Amino acid sequence: MAEPMAGTPEPITRLIDAFHKLPGIGPKSAQRLAYHILRAPAAEAEALATALRDVKERIALCSQCCNITERDPCSYCTDPRRDTTVVCVVEQPLDILALERAGGFRGRYHVLHGVLNPMDGIGPEHLHIRELLKRLESGEVTEVIMATNPSLEGEATAMYLHRLTGPLGVRVTRLARGLPSGADLEYTDDVTLSRALEGRQAF
Amino acid sequence: MTSRTRVYKTEGVILRRRNLGEADSVFTVFSPGAGKFEAVARGVRKARSRMRGHLEPLTRTELLIARGRSLDVFTQAETIEAYRPLREDLDRSALAIYVAELIDRFTIEHAENPGLYELLLATFDALAAGAPAHVVRFFELHLLALTGFELQVDACASCGDRLPPADTLLAPSAGGLVCVACRAAAGTGRIVPVAGIKVLRYARGCGIDQFAALRIDPDLARLLQGALTDVIQHVLEREVVSRRHLDEVARLSRASIPNPGQDVQ
Repeated sequence: MAEPMAGTPEPITRLIDAFHKLPGIGPKSAQRLAYHILRAPAAEAEALATALRDVKERIALCSQCCNITERDPCSYCTDPRRDTTVVCVVEQPLDILALERAGGFRGRYHVLHGVLNPMDGIGPEHLHIRELLKRLESGEVTEVIMATNPSLEGEATAMYLHRLTGPLGVRVTRLARGLPSGADLEYTDDVTLSRALEGRQAF
Repeated sequence: MTSRTRVYKTEGVILRRRNLGEADSVFTVFSPGAGKFEAVARGVRKARSRMRGHLEPLTRTELLIARGRSLDVFTQAETIEAYRPLREDLDRSALAIYVAELIDRFTIEHAENPGLYELLLATFDALAAGAPAHVVRFFELHLLALTGFELQVDACASCGDRLPPADTLLAPSAGGLVCVACRAAAGTGRIVPVAGIKVLRYARGCGIDQFAALRIDPDLARLLQGALTDVIQHVLEREVVSRRHLDEVARLSRASIPNPGQDVQ
């Protein structure tokens, strides 16, 4: 907890403590932010308070894809132009934004909200896997694209889900792995390079 | 390596990673000369990081590290062995993560243990080459021995008497097998059949490849796994967290035997 100066009014101490709980905010930054709010126009503080309240009150998880949304089901799940037979599984809601920015994918999504991390005790029960299985059991989905990160944990999660969904007979695919644009071969790690070689394509 | 050098070079196996701030990560490394240590890789979570792929957990890496005030900083990293098969197969990845966690739990920072490093490499090599899961028992037994908790399997761990060739109690609190006379005082444990005792004794003298080539009955393999898990948890006085993942993966493989272990296409 941040140590306020003796005699600091209680509302300021409370605000400092609240900021201090945020990730990456140390005691000094918390104090700076609190005094900034104190000096800021009332409207600015009010807007922050409303934004904070709204994010907790109006944002929920989509009952189908577990993406964060204001309306349930979310816009991706209700968009009739999207292919309902292909589901792309991602770790975090932000990954959807990245895939949408890249374009090219017109199917549905499913957000796990994390990855398996055996050493930290993050198991399947901590992820939104049950919801995914429910979607797959409905029989409409024919392909699941595993778009978890190509890290140890992301791979473990993709392989785990592949094995878990095996009995359902759905086609499971994994995003291709290779060189990012602008990369330097010299600094590329062996796994990426060998996968890039394996996945080479004719011009 | 002396404490005065500002930059030092070592090889090591990356055991685990935790994120720090916006784009940095702290890695736990186990090295032959400097033991276990932590160091930070700046900007490693950015797409353009040159070290990223070389610092993935379970990678054997050549490292150049600069001494920092609180945490040392990686300045260069280059893969020696990526152990690809350990990342691309669910069962082997679960076993390797378990092995890495045990190394992390059984070591203290900056205490060198080159024998243990050799054991880690040999275990990863064996698993990557497709050794059966019971090879991890070899790892566990030698890990215990190399960290000062050698399991007593020749004579009674309590009184030192010769053990008759019969089913014998393996009691974690006694640190090994105990004779019938000492059983009541040794506390709880599991009864290990003669075949199991032979496996435990064989593991001490043979190489990992010889041990991997052993054919162990699945029921006996499960019993030995349970017995050694009990010993390890007794020594650590805590649960080995990645054990849960390992069990879950094993449960899934048993459940999906008609379609076992295919890799993601």
